[in-house]
Amino acid sequence: MRAERIGGSLVGIVVVSHSAKLAEGVVELARQMGGGDVALAAAGGIDDPESPIGTDAFAIKEAIESVWSDDGVLVLMDLGSAIMNAETALEFLEPPADASRVLLCEAPLVEGTVAAVATAGIGASLSEVAAEARAGLTPKIEHLAPAEAAESEATPEVARGRSIVLRVGNPLGLHLRPASRLVETVGRFDAEVRIANRTTGSDPVPARSLARVSALGVRQGHEIEVWAAGPDADAALSAISDLAADDFGDRDLPAAPPPPKAETPAVEPRSEGTVVGVGASPGVAVGPARYLRRPALEVPTGPPADPEADRQRLRQAIDAVRADIESQREQVLARAGEAEADIFTAHLLILDDEHLIGSALERIGPSTGAAEAWQAATEAVADDFRRLEDPYQAQRADDVEAVGRQVLARLLGVDPRPRMEAPGVLVADDLTPGETATLDPEMVQAIVTAAGAPTSHSAILARGLGVPAVVAAGPLEVEEGTPLLVDGTAGSVVIDPPPEQVAEARRRAEEDARRLEEARSRAAAPAVTTDGVAIEVAANIGSVEDARAAVEAGADGVGLLRTEFLYLNRTTPPSEEEQEETYRQIAEALGGRPLVLRTLDVGGDKPLPFLPRPPEQNPFLGVRGLRLGLAEPELLMSQVRAALRVAATHPVRIMFPMVSVLSEWEQVRTMVGEAAEQIGGLPDGLQIGVMVEVPSLALAADRFAAVVDFFSIGTNDLTQYTLAAERGNPELANLADALHPSVLSLIDRTCRAAAEHGRWVGVCGEAAGDPLAVPILVGLGVTELSMSPVAIAQVKDVVRRIDASDARRLAASALEMTSAEAVRQAAAAFLGT
Amino acid sequence: MNSVGLEEVLAWLREAAARIEEQKEYLTQLDSAIGDADHGINMNRGFKAALERLEANPPEDIAAALKSVAMALIGKVGGASGPLYGTMFMEMAKAIDGKERLEAADVAAAFRAGIDGIKARGKAEEGDKTMIDALEPAYAALQEAVASGAGVGEAIAAAADAAARGMEATIPLVARKGRASYLGERSAGHQDPGATSSHLLLAAAAEAWGS
Repeated sequence: MRAERIGGSLVGIVVVSHSAKLAEGVVELARQMGGGDVALAAAGGIDDPESPIGTDAFAIKEAIESVWSDDGVLVLMDLGSAIMNAETALEFLEPPADASRVLLCEAPLVEGTVAAVATAGIGASLSEVAAEARAGLTPKIEHLAPAEAAESEATPEVARGRSIVLRVGNPLGLHLRPASRLVETVGRFDAEVRIANRTTGSDPVPARSLARVSALGVRQGHEIEVWAAGPDADAALSAISDLAADDFGDRDLPAAPPPPKAETPAVEPRSEGTVVGVGASPGVAVGPARYLRRPALEVPTGPPADPEADRQRLRQAIDAVRADIESQREQVLARAGEAEADIFTAHLLILDDEHLIGSALERIGPSTGAAEAWQAATEAVADDFRRLEDPYQAQRADDVEAVGRQVLARLLGVDPRPRMEAPGVLVADDLTPGETATLDPEMVQAIVTAAGAPTSHSAILARGLGVPAVVAAGPLEVEEGTPLLVDGTAGSVVIDPPPEQVAEARRRAEEDARRLEEARSRAAAPAVTTDGVAIEVAANIGSVEDARAAVEAGADGVGLLRTEFLYLNRTTPPSEEEQEETYRQIAEALGGRPLVLRTLDVGGDKPLPFLPRPPEQNPFLGVRGLRLGLAEPELLMSQVRAALRVAATHPVRIMFPMVSVLSEWEQVRTMVGEAAEQIGGLPDGLQIGVMVEVPSLALAADRFAAVVDFFSIGTNDLTQYTLAAERGNPELANLADALHPSVLSLIDRTCRAAAEHGRWVGVCGEAAGDPLAVPILVGLGVTELSMSPVAIAQVKDVVRRIDASDARRLAASALEMTSAEAVRQAAAAFLGT
Repeated sequence: MNSVGLEEVLAWLREAAARIEEQKEYLTQLDSAIGDADHGINMNRGFKAALERLEANPPEDIAAALKSVAMALIGKVGGASGPLYGTMFMEMAKAIDGKERLEAADVAAAFRAGIDGIKARGKAEEGDKTMIDALEPAYAALQEAVASGAGVGEAIAAAADAAARGMEATIPLVARKGRASYLGERSAGHQDPGATSSHLLLAAAAEAWGS
């Protein structure tokens, strides 16, 4: 081995060959061609005079270290053991050398080295040097076999299995979300899949590593090459190709970073006076401004007591955080849908990343403990992303750091959640689902957000907590602790309000508190309008514990049991016995109150591990809800039988989701009949109904009303499908409002058809718990409202204050209006708030 | 023998080195048919270096002994079998780290880890005409013996027999990995030298640990 280091921070180059003479010769030849400043080393032959042909991992290691450059090192090899010994050498590199910046390049040895040295000499990056090395044969091919030149360009994939080349159309390239979908897709197949960025000339990386795939720096218009080998290779490639055609599920993102929100055009931050935004949760509160702050995490350094125990601790911390994120994901999924929950999926993939975890575990040793090793490993991965000089890659770095902090906090026994340091008015740009899920309700007196809409998470959270909220208020620039007066009814925020205004506000706040207190004390009592119409106020739940909490919150029953929790995060379907047992426990917890059980409601956006389905272009318009149940009848039959057994002794009602045409109902009704026969008959008085989510069902409500026992309106999906506006898309937050007259018109149609046939209509979407929606829904003829348990007391209070015949007039006028905003204003005026 | 300790492991390594030296010509001859005619020379150089290391720095425990062999093979073999067997010994060392004695199940677990290491490094599967064709059947036999309650000696003997059958079964195969793969169909009809050395290692263990 001979190293020539002449200096500069150019990419270093190492030539590995079985023959010392060949390696030296290639170095000599390349040196002649230029690149005089390039550090170049030969690692050829082995230390055995009798049989000097071979390669030596340690010699390669030393050669790499001798030409080390922070810009990276390119290694060119001859064949066989040269490759494996080079790979092995990477495992032994010592700092500052860093294996992640060494590229083992498959380019031809002589031509590749010559091209690489010439390119490195002009200060090119590692990937540029590699790309030139790979193209090193082109001049020779053009000279000797020009006709084949065109074809040969696409054939570097020897011995890697089949490959396909795809152009990436995503506006933002393969940033974290699409990359995580790719990794997730690959994970479903028994195949070894590797992927390279052809445009930048990167080396292939394992497609199961999110960090490695993201770090390929694939941007819009780049070409990627995907190789697959193994039993499922073809299926994997075809799924990846479909995914790419679908822009890796990324269609909904804008082509450019979204401009500042329309309702808050680049305004100067406000630091005094009265700010007017949109009232999103009624009431008045005064309190000091508080921002969310992350607790400091102090990482201990120094030798751990027992490195093996520290490795174990790290694994446990990762498992614990994974469980946390999974449960947050479920919550957000249930509350806000797939698009919002996606980021948790991405975070989970980071925690499953073998590259990251392996490197952290390796760093733990006699002088480095778990926390220090984990921090170093996550920082290294985050830095890799940042180096890509792309604002969207920087976000990936943030994701890695966010997850890294959670694990670190778990290791240190610290609560990592950003928190308010003292009670007060939470001031934020907008709240993410994650923040919303982890806020301490005791601390929040009111919420003010710069962006957002009455339908965003901040608003839903505020209504859930019963605290005032103003959204879309524009940026505030006030010091922590500055008094703020938040009027969630008028939608105003007064910065540093004068004492008399504060006194008035306090009086109103106390009144509100009294009213809420009173509402809570009467939460368990029935909700009847002033003119005697009883409204069943029920809870939406997703577990046995939820059922108990619902009863405590005063629920008259359960209007929506989401049964998905029994199916997610497991590799085999739940047994019929397990289902029956769970449903029975829930029914018993409800103590005779009615329970509406919705059958499994998932789709292609959230495939069940034990039920592989082909990927879909648009899962929200795909095989989901009952459509999946009809496609997988055994799964549905098993659930129906379990429900029917419990219905024999408890007031269980069965509800089918995502029904769009009558023939689907006829099929499932036949299945229920068969299931009943198998278990000895249909329970007396059993009610079977449908969810109204698809406009086609609402439009045909008169036909359905003749055959179903009840309707329950899923306002979230009905709104999305009616207005063609995704709820999770912040730019469409104002459009996707269940109080839009077009949605109300479908509800009206459903209620009229139901009344003619003596059926009841419930609402189990977010609108049911929105106080402003209550008089409208009651006025349209809805008699059951099912919501998150926290909203029950307040909704019952609203019901008790309204007159149903007045509400009918309000609803009739709402149907004539042209916007959701107008309906909200009318409802607010009606409620006199 | 129901379990093996450091002494027995060292005895195996010495036996393996002796057999490789003895079979050096044979291995090289096999390799000359379908490879670069250096397998015997390379393996002999690697195992000699391994024994020298073990003598110069007597290992404290089994893991240290296996690790020492791994480093010697990676540094000295020169051919592809260096990083491959080196990885195997390194992974085996990790799998039994801290153990004073190995029961049959420990041996099986270490062997599994070692094979997985080779597969990860060489990307070969069964049927590619490589070491894996001797090692995987050996593991299966070892595992079966463990399941039926056999001791280490009996289990490793079964593994060595299976490795011999696997080694012979490479004769008709067409090579898909390594230098031999350049020969394509012409590689059929020759026994794979890697599978042969893998069998040697197991046969040495069976000899050293035989009741």
